[in-house]
Amino acid sequence: MATVSVPRAHWSGRRSTLASIRLAVLTFLADPQWLIPSMIAPIVFGFVSFELFLGTPDLVVYVILGAGMMSMWGQTLYGSGWATGQDRNIGTLEPTLSAPTPYVFVVLGRILWNVVSGLIGIVLVFVVVVVATGTVPSIDNPVAFVVLFVFTMLTLAAVGTVFAAAYVYTRYAGFVQNVGEFAFYIGTGCMFPIVILPFWTNPIALLFPPSWALDALRYASIPGYVGFSWGLGWDIVGGVATTAIYLLIAGIVFKRVERHVLEVGNLQEY
Amino acid sequence: MGALPTAQPARVPYRSKFWRTLWTNAIVAPKTTLGFMRIDFILGEIFIIPLTQMVFFVFVVAFSYAGSPSSVIASEIAFVAIGNAVATVAYSSIFSVCQTTDSEKQLGTMEHLLASPANRTALYFGRGFLPILISVASVAMGLAYAVLFFGVTISGASVPFVAVSVVLTAFSMVGFGLLLGGVALYLRTSIILGNIFLFIGLLLSGVNFPLSSLPYPVQVVSYGLPLTWGVAAIRSAIDGASLAGMELLWLGLALSGLAAYGLSIALWGTFEHRAKSTGSIARF
Repeated sequence: MATVSVPRAHWSGRRSTLASIRLAVLTFLADPQWLIPSMIAPIVFGFVSFELFLGTPDLVVYVILGAGMMSMWGQTLYGSGWATGQDRNIGTLEPTLSAPTPYVFVVLGRILWNVVSGLIGIVLVFVVVVVATGTVPSIDNPVAFVVLFVFTMLTLAAVGTVFAAAYVYTRYAGFVQNVGEFAFYIGTGCMFPIVILPFWTNPIALLFPPSWALDALRYASIPGYVGFSWGLGWDIVGGVATTAIYLLIAGIVFKRVERHVLEVGNLQEY
Repeated sequence: MGALPTAQPARVPYRSKFWRTLWTNAIVAPKTTLGFMRIDFILGEIFIIPLTQMVFFVFVVAFSYAGSPSSVIASEIAFVAIGNAVATVAYSSIFSVCQTTDSEKQLGTMEHLLASPANRTALYFGRGFLPILISVASVAMGLAYAVLFFGVTISGASVPFVAVSVVLTAFSMVGFGLLLGGVALYLRTSIILGNIFLFIGLLLSGVNFPLSSLPYPVQVVSYGLPLTWGVAAIRSAIDGASLAGMELLWLGLALSGLAAYGLSIALWGTFEHRAKSTGSIARF
């Protein structure tokens, strides 16, 4: 009896992620107004902090880094919520999950773009602060700064991926985004070093990879910065370790989520 | 045999009742156009956002004033804590109220609303009822946090003045939210407008630093915002201002609120007229 050979569906994580990024970019270009909601707060907070930090040394670097970090955080929080919510709303969640490509790569691509698009907020604050102060901030080690900045973006993407996995199960993504926004800004020390927070909050803050990465970034860019006592090196180690744990958790959760929702069949319920 | 003449029922023109429309909208809006405001959102707006927003800016101040005398730091922290406690009024009064327009468009009820003979003033005021209550609650909670955690003192004698100022601020800010909702009627979405005005008060209304720090033309714009008057009134009340000292601020607050309500009604009227003539404005 003749057998029909069915070609095995194959996928590549890299190709899937790149395709997802491309689609996210195209969607953004088609309707860029959706960048504004999550960028308004960081830019306003950047200007408020600029006024409050007047007279403080390294004002420009603090404000630009802080507002930029908040902009990327905002995009991550909203983006990860939308990464799944949008599929659910427009009815593409089931087909996407039925595809051979693991859903985590689809989501990762969207989140990476969201983090990158948060850079627009940094550029805006940078331009305004530089024009207002008339000084361009100087960075001691530009290469280390750029590398650590990219690393900070990756840590944010890792957090966003875990959030997106959790959001598949919950209807409270909007609640976390809106009500938890300030808590994340405080907990990861966007505008001030975490060490000035009460000591009991530090372990909680260190559960988030961006806390480590931002501390490392400030060590690399602000002379005389006083952050965690263990310094730049261990900040990087901590950041890499927590990011790896987050990505591992995201992979496991997404696998479980995919299996669970396919078994139960309640994916589209909202 | 000819047909018997039938009695024609007397045509009674429909007259919408102001109070009925007002009350119905106050009761129904939380389940329809304000339906996105679930109980978790409301509790978050009242209990969590005021605290986290205040903590964020208090630590920014504590960090930027590090090394200054402790009395200076304490007074700056109190200033920022009060300002942000009042600024939390914007979440309910601006962001939520502004989004009712989007809700109407999304739910497909905008056409029906525009065709309805219901009294518009009652309709819009009714929708603002719940946000006013939530706004009052969130500012009151914020001020309680300011007293409990940030060293702000409110004397017993000041409490009535603070209470009047908080209620007036909530009324005026909801009027401002309705005004933005009117503008949003003409836009594709109100979310962007809502986000801009949700946070712009932190910059322009003397929430985190005195208005005098702003350039003069910006100060003039600031006094057009009800939040500026609200923050000033509540600060003065906490500082122990007399009734005479409060009257001008309350007047400014009430006038800015009434102007916002008046403009919102006018704007809705204009856009309604346009909607009926073009037949396209109610689409999402």
